[in-house]
Amino acid sequence: MTGERLLLVDDEPQLIRALRPALGAAGYEVTTAENGQAALSQMAREPTDVVILDLGLPDLDGKEVIRRIREWSDVPILVLSARDLESEKISALDLGADDFVNKPVGVGELLARIRAALRGRERRFASHAHLKTGELEINFASREVTLEGDDVRLTPREYDLVRTLARHAGRVVTHKQLIAAVWGPEASVDAQFVRVLVGQVRTKLEADSASPKILLTEPGIGYRLRAED
Amino acid sequence: MRSPQLTDVKGAWRYLAALGVVMAATLVAELLYRVLETTRLSMIFLAGVLVAAVWLGSGPAYLAAAAAFLIYNFYLVDPRFTLTFGSPEEAIVLVVFLIVAMLTGSLAGRVRDEARRAQDRARTTQALLEASRAFGASIDEEAVRERLATHLAEAAKGEAVIWDGSRAFTHPRGRNLPADLISDVEALEAAAPPDGVMTIVGGDWRARPLRAGGERLGVAAWRALSPQAPEAEAASLVDVLIDLGAGAIVRARLSEGQAEIQALARTEQLRNALLSSISHDLRTPLAAILASASSLKEFGDQFPPDVRDDLLATITEEAERLNLFVANLLDMTRLEGGALRVEAGPFSVREVIDRLTARLARRLGARRLVTKMADGGLIARGDPVLLEQALGNVLENAIRFSPDGSEILLTVHGGDRVEIEVTDAGPGVPEAELDLIFEKFFRSPQALKHSQGTGLGLSIARGLTEAMGGAVHARPRADARGLVVALRLPGEETP
Repeated sequence: MTGERLLLVDDEPQLIRALRPALGAAGYEVTTAENGQAALSQMAREPTDVVILDLGLPDLDGKEVIRRIREWSDVPILVLSARDLESEKISALDLGADDFVNKPVGVGELLARIRAALRGRERRFASHAHLKTGELEINFASREVTLEGDDVRLTPREYDLVRTLARHAGRVVTHKQLIAAVWGPEASVDAQFVRVLVGQVRTKLEADSASPKILLTEPGIGYRLRAED
Repeated sequence: MRSPQLTDVKGAWRYLAALGVVMAATLVAELLYRVLETTRLSMIFLAGVLVAAVWLGSGPAYLAAAAAFLIYNFYLVDPRFTLTFGSPEEAIVLVVFLIVAMLTGSLAGRVRDEARRAQDRARTTQALLEASRAFGASIDEEAVRERLATHLAEAAKGEAVIWDGSRAFTHPRGRNLPADLISDVEALEAAAPPDGVMTIVGGDWRARPLRAGGERLGVAAWRALSPQAPEAEAASLVDVLIDLGAGAIVRARLSEGQAEIQALARTEQLRNALLSSISHDLRTPLAAILASASSLKEFGDQFPPDVRDDLLATITEEAERLNLFVANLLDMTRLEGGALRVEAGPFSVREVIDRLTARLARRLGARRLVTKMADGGLIARGDPVLLEQALGNVLENAIRFSPDGSEILLTVHGGDRVEIEVTDAGPGVPEAELDLIFEKFFRSPQALKHSQGTGLGLSIARGLTEAMGGAVHARPRADARGLVVALRLPGEETP
């Protein structure tokens, strides 16, 4: 995974200065941009493998940058954002961002998220018929789910939920995206239905559904299936 | 339109006045009888009846007609001083006189009564119009209640009290209310009787609950100061006024509620803006510190020494910035809480500037700071520590916005006021924002592009300077792009 080109977009020069060496040391070829326009023209100039994007940019709204990138590219986009902008994060994710990281963030977690985002892209292109994360195995072709080798019996909706999360393993999936995948895009269903369904799945997958280890909650945003490296 | 009218005469006096008019007519007739020696003076009496009718109305006119008939017959018709008449011709004249007098009186009286009623109606309409205008112009409930008391007192031709459950609005203003009136009004309010006028305080006062849309708004009470009973027209005016007032009170309450909601929303908006600004300002340095520290922890041994040094420098600088921000926040809180102690006394501005330029030298980078000080002591009145901080904030602001290689000018003029001006070559500030830059957490869209200031520096500078009795202003630079911030302090002439 070395040599992948990473574009870091943030208007705080000190943050770029702080992150750049570690990203470089982790094997990425780092370019930076201080605003949305510079980011878009940088992407047009050179192929980019992953984008880390701050939502609060001086010229363009970060969401607008995502929208414009998504018009022609499905490069993984990792949103770097302040914790108190839940609704901003949700709309960024719904616009096609792959995941988000709260500021401030340690480089360890940031690198893990970058890896998950890149893996997600591989998974999309390779369309693996099979996912294994920890003790959980999912066979997409036969719709079989096993935990520690034992069959887990899921209702069709529960399976749709697990499959959607597994397709994005390691990355957050918003309530809205889950509703569209499980109930259909036109369904008039709110986040409460997702919560109930997740609760059912947890009783079948988690050792202790009160402190989940596999199906994790992103408060106010959605859910994330833990991806094991 | 006003009908011609002598004085307003009321009640039984109207009938007495009618007799007076007939007496006057008799005197005139007597005079003419003496001068002209004629007895054909029935017209004089008819004229008297007409006057009585127009002036006093139909009832008194009938009395005047009867009296005129009797006096005319007794006094002027032969044989004089009897109530008999001599010839059939005289009889016809007398009968015709009576009929004409009655008809005249009746017609003229009716016209007069009609005119008076029309006048009353016009007055009522006028009063309602004025009241409704007054209510419409009142913004708060208190003003509506006061005006309702005024208009009610006028309509009742007496005094009025509007009780709102705890307080009374009176007309005439500030009148002390008798205890029995207050207790009766309170009882009425507590009993919540059905709508309608009732009599309280032993029949002296009248009162009606104030109601609008099922809401209980208190009690209106009034009494006429002239003894006669209120006319029907006035009574209905009072009724309509009270309804109008109750409606206006409800409207005032609604708009007050509306204003409160808006004020709350504004406070909430401000608080949110403040919170998000503070959280951004705290988080940005924290993000850089955490990223640098965790990078060093994970990859420290792989980094060349200069990268390690750079990360360590980032940690130090950002921690300093964080500290500055927290200090600014504390200053702001102290300024706003009024906990700032100013040790005012004469001090040398020159020394403050020397200390400050030494302190800021490191931050200037590739910019130059040019200081021009007038000759003399440059002694100002205030607190040198506070001035150093205020001027330091202004200079840091100038440094932040000035491009590399540019010049920041610091000029000081002495005299009975010491004026310190900081001129930068930054992007400047639009005219409309010149005053806003001293507002807490204000950062112009320009500023957001250029720097990561706290949005507090200039507002603290202004707060500190004002605490010392000085002032701070900003203006666009005259000769080039840039901003001039001027600090003014009271000065002390050097001896």
